[in-house]
Amino acid sequence: MNKSNQEVLIQLKNLTKKFGEFYAVSDVNIEVNRGEIVGFLGPNGAGKSTTMKMIAYLLEPSEGEIWIRGNGELKQLTRKNKSYLLDNLGFLIENPAFYGDLSPRTILTYFAKLKGYPKEKINQRIEEVLEFFHLEAWIDKKIKTFSKGMRQKIGVASAIIHDPDIIVLDEPQTGLDPKARREVRDFILELKQMGKTIFLSSHLLYEISEVADRVAIIHHGKIIAFDTLDNLEAKTKKSIINFELLNTEDKSQNHFLQEVKNLVQPFTGIEKDLSWVKYNEETGVFQIFFDGNPLNQLNILKSLIEKGFKIIEFSVPKAGLLEDLFIELTKPEV
Amino acid sequence: MRSNQKQELIMLKDIDADREKAGLKRNVSQIGNTITFEFKKNLRSFIIMLIIFTSVFFLLLLISELQLAQDVALPNDPIDYVDDYLTQFFGFLIIISASLFGGSIIVEDFKKQTGNLLFPKISKTRLLIGRLTSRYTLNAICVSVYYVLVGIVTLAKYGEIPINLWASLGWALLYTFIILTFVTFMSSVMRSTSATIIVSILFLLIVFNIITMILRFAGLTMEPLFILTYYEGIISGSLAMPNPRYADILMPTPGGGDPVSFTMWLTPTEPAALIGMLIYASIFLFFAYLIYQRRQSKSE
Repeated sequence: MNKSNQEVLIQLKNLTKKFGEFYAVSDVNIEVNRGEIVGFLGPNGAGKSTTMKMIAYLLEPSEGEIWIRGNGELKQLTRKNKSYLLDNLGFLIENPAFYGDLSPRTILTYFAKLKGYPKEKINQRIEEVLEFFHLEAWIDKKIKTFSKGMRQKIGVASAIIHDPDIIVLDEPQTGLDPKARREVRDFILELKQMGKTIFLSSHLLYEISEVADRVAIIHHGKIIAFDTLDNLEAKTKKSIINFELLNTEDKSQNHFLQEVKNLVQPFTGIEKDLSWVKYNEETGVFQIFFDGNPLNQLNILKSLIEKGFKIIEFSVPKAGLLEDLFIELTKPEV
Repeated sequence: MRSNQKQELIMLKDIDADREKAGLKRNVSQIGNTITFEFKKNLRSFIIMLIIFTSVFFLLLLISELQLAQDVALPNDPIDYVDDYLTQFFGFLIIISASLFGGSIIVEDFKKQTGNLLFPKISKTRLLIGRLTSRYTLNAICVSVYYVLVGIVTLAKYGEIPINLWASLGWALLYTFIILTFVTFMSSVMRSTSATIIVSILFLLIVFNIITMILRFAGLTMEPLFILTYYEGIISGSLAMPNPRYADILMPTPGGGDPVSFTMWLTPTEPAALIGMLIYASIFLFFAYLIYQRRQSKSE
């Protein structure tokens, strides 16, 4: 086993699932390394949940293999060793549904015991996990009194209660209000800081772009891209820089835009006819279309500063890029 | 979660050690955990059924006391006294309680989608064994409490408890089990808990009885061992074995014609009841298990 293999915690090799003649998932190859967040992105019905369920062994693959690291060694997931290997994984599969008349303490105690967590430490662990999700005051309340966001947090809590190394979250933010979505996102990032490895599926582009180190894009059951966001952007040669200036009121917009375009065009990596610079009067944000190359991004910034522009904001918004990228990758070939 | 690193290391060591308890020991402990959890989950149903069982007992006791107050003599044989408590509503009670305890046993994982949380943590086999054990235990406690109450009042009246009462309890517990397996099977094919309960009760109280009546009026004299509810007869029949196992009944026909004679089977023999109920339970459990294994939630 080589060194890079030692860091792989989940490996999907040519994973395929057929329902009759329909290929729900076809030849999926993904590796998830220790400590990273891999986003699994695709529209509804693309095959995300089916893939997640195969990892959880809720569905048996028609073809291909799933390898999971257990006790320091990558092992192929089989019916025989699934209990043992899946102990190192925590799952949140789609909508978490709970028994409304029971409390988080009762349910999480059961889940922790099922996964072999040391009995004498279960209570302490539950209290810590619920504190992490700011639900400590609700520990003995009936779940039927919880909001959807709170239930979702209990769902994530149930995935991590037995302290797995790998956490598989299927659409964890679906149906949540913006505040709850933000909280779940922050929890995901905190879990990463704790050294957890996270495999996260979503059809919401921004949900993935905010947290993922690498993104696998699935469409019609096939992986059409799997790389870091930066590399994916570079591959499609399509990115947008957003920047704001301290004061734009005294500038003639058309003239100013042409000046900016002339200034940055040599660094955009885009042909002159295709390059553009835009200004949004409502938000006060300028946009520069460029090839996504980080070096070009730096040169554009340098040229603007050297020209004396007072830049107060300069960024490449990942969500928008991912959206463009997704549309680019999934558009039908002519 | 934010404890110091040394603590974390010790903790992880413990977790690894515990997790390595894979195999039989782990499987057994998962079943045990499921039983404990199910006790908590079904506590409300248990309390409701316990109240119903004791209420029915006290109502029957009240009727019996009212009859005594009106100079109806107490039966000479305590068996006959006990029989009054086991023939009138008891079979109905068992059907209601088994349906209530077993209605959700499989279908809830798919209707509520609780399976999405459970199945990655425990196999369906262990889950079903744990659930069946706990729900049967709760159901059996309700039945046993009823028998204990009957035993206490019989002791008060006659100064003794007939030994056959406990044999009858054994049959009642076995009958409860096959009814629960029937409801479990229904739960594996139905789409909701309430539908499972309603359809199970309809089958057990109406459909099987109608089939029995059709066979009876068709002149079939064969013992109806293939009718699930026929085995209920052994609960009271076992109090005084060998009981008359069937009765020939003359029924007047409308319009004043000659009365029609037919055979009404009352109870199977003990060996037939034991074998018949075990076969029934095996068939229902086998199919319930197969369907449960193959069934997938809406989103799957």
